[in-house]
Amino acid sequence: MTSMLTDLLVASVSLTIPVLVAANGELVSERAGVLNMSVEGMMLTGAFAGVVGATSTGSPVAGVLCGLAAGIVLGAVQALLSVTLRANQIVTGIALTTLAIAATTFGARLLLADRGVSVPGFDRLAVPVLSDIPVVGPALFAQTGLAYALVGVVVVLALLTSRRTGWGLAIDAAGEDATKADWAGVPVRRVRWLAVVGVGALSGLAGTQLALSEVHTFTDNMTAGIGYLAVVAVIAGRWKAVPVMVASLVFGVAQALQFTLPALGVDVPFALLVMLPYVLALLAVGGLVTHSRPPSALTVPFVRAGA
Amino acid sequence: MNLRHPLSLGLLAAAAALVVSGLLATLAGSSPTEAAVALWDGMFGSAYAIGSSLNAAAVLLLVATGFIIAFRANLVNVGGEGQICLGAIFAVTVGTRVLPDSTPAFVALPAVLVASVVGGALWASIAAVLRVRRGVSEVITTLLLNFVGLALLLLVVHEEMFLRQPMSSSETLPQSLPLVDGAHLPLLGIPRSPATAAVALALLGAVVAAVVLHRTSTGLRLRSVGLSAPASHRLGARVDRLRLGSLTTAGGFAGLAGGVLVASAPHVLAEGVSSGYGFSGLVAGLLARGSLAAAVLVSAALGLLVSGGINLQLAAGIPASLTQITEALLILFIAGSALWTTTGPRGAGRRSAGWPRRRPEPDRSGPPPGGASEPSPGPATATGSGPDGDPGPAARPADRPRTTHLEETRR
Repeated sequence: MTSMLTDLLVASVSLTIPVLVAANGELVSERAGVLNMSVEGMMLTGAFAGVVGATSTGSPVAGVLCGLAAGIVLGAVQALLSVTLRANQIVTGIALTTLAIAATTFGARLLLADRGVSVPGFDRLAVPVLSDIPVVGPALFAQTGLAYALVGVVVVLALLTSRRTGWGLAIDAAGEDATKADWAGVPVRRVRWLAVVGVGALSGLAGTQLALSEVHTFTDNMTAGIGYLAVVAVIAGRWKAVPVMVASLVFGVAQALQFTLPALGVDVPFALLVMLPYVLALLAVGGLVTHSRPPSALTVPFVRAGA
Repeated sequence: MNLRHPLSLGLLAAAAALVVSGLLATLAGSSPTEAAVALWDGMFGSAYAIGSSLNAAAVLLLVATGFIIAFRANLVNVGGEGQICLGAIFAVTVGTRVLPDSTPAFVALPAVLVASVVGGALWASIAAVLRVRRGVSEVITTLLLNFVGLALLLLVVHEEMFLRQPMSSSETLPQSLPLVDGAHLPLLGIPRSPATAAVALALLGAVVAAVVLHRTSTGLRLRSVGLSAPASHRLGARVDRLRLGSLTTAGGFAGLAGGVLVASAPHVLAEGVSSGYGFSGLVAGLLARGSLAAAVLVSAALGLLVSGGINLQLAAGIPASLTQITEALLILFIAGSALWTTTGPRGAGRRSAGWPRRRPEPDRSGPPPGGASEPSPGPATATGSGPDGDPGPAARPADRPRTTHLEETRR
């Protein structure tokens, strides 16, 4: 019983981290007024670039940097479309995700065709003593170095963009009323550009975590909707940092059940387990969170009057 | 030629997307001519190629028609993929479990197709109800329902208690039994061509949709809801019911696409039956900018691209995902160039052009006309993509003559 719970927790935390990282980036961007349906594509591209980088250099750290760079590039493309060209954010986000799915599948045929080559990844680092705590120890203190680093990034980001900092206020101002924020001297476009590029960077990193810390390989469309779960986690978390983290954890547990329940011999059709996170996500957006208010200017492009 | 006209921009975008795809094909180690020849052969090379292109185009046209209907009411149906899956599941349930083997075609085929419409419509109605009752963005819900629908498909084809064919050995494929003979879609009868009656069905659907959207009061009401829900509400249109109806109808069309897919050879339900048709249909609907005539042309072009792409993989060894890259690039180029598109007089062109209407920036640069009476936003939508709380159009009817709706609809 204890070992089952331990396994479930380990898998849950591992699968929470990619959602958590991407959701926190998306949270900042939505607070600034830009919705990115392309988080999914950015994660997948990050995973692909991470695996390509790691296999070609032999170093997982180089892989992470490649994934980060790829995410930033995609973030810049999305920012160009959403902020500068004022294109429809939902349409371009979904198109960008489709582009990423198709392009990584295409790229995998060309660059990763020789399957069986092992991908250099990160090993789990057990923190002495703490990782021996029963049940929660292995889940919290035996993750990979990349996972610890990413959790650190999330915490720092959440602190830097909280409403107690100037940055946090500028972000919220840009997302609530861009025109007035502009009057008040907030560089609305720059804030939004940075926020969207930040989503790209974080989603790219989330992808590398998935590919290099967990799966240790790249498969076609390996994110399979996790990026959309990150977007839903922001809605379910009512655009607040801590609830978003909780929502990410719920999605992480739901995904973990996919792997732990069959391992325990519980006879549930696999497809039902695949479905679970998305059903939860639907319940979250449809049932639980009705009294939340999105940032007023979400998906509204900003253009200075008379410009 | 006006470069800023939507049509010329669209052609430019298509050219750009094809050039990039051509470069990628070269990257994949094939010479551009080899790739072009393979693509051409896959599209027009034989009666078989043309026929399969037409079949693909028919499926896309059905999804695109549904997309356009929902889009009239300013609802974006991203859920084509899931609706196709549910349509296919319903069709196969009726076609393998309900109907006896000897059912004549004039009963079996309509029964199967109606079941598929019901399946898709039910699936979309989940999103529609959430949109109407709880104000949840239909983009998010239809998107999530895609994943659930795909998983449901996985479930029914893998479990014998649902639709999987009886397992005789461990090599029995995870797919359903074939539909009863009566439920097979007839071929159009063109020699050596696999084109089925789906082509006629899709064209019929598009014509009916065009008539309803352009020539009936329901079409007019849908359009008015799409242009401004608050104003339509004030004028007495039943906004919720129209929205519910249009999104559900969109699901019905996508479901029918699923039914058509399983009623065509090899007449079985298997994983991946929807294989990207949902997204491609959405692309066709978007590119058609609200016009069903344009949807027919765009679907035909994308159908050719899909079938050419398959041959690209078979003959030239270029991954078939290249066609999806082309489609996505096309959408990105067109959406990205929307800023430069000419807007007709009084900006009506952009609105009638059929892009998802962007919520205008609330213009608070001056004091509101009535002093304190700023229009209060309605119930907040989950992502704010909907026009519910949109003070823009409500504040604006003065600069559009009221007849505009009628005139635009007749066009």
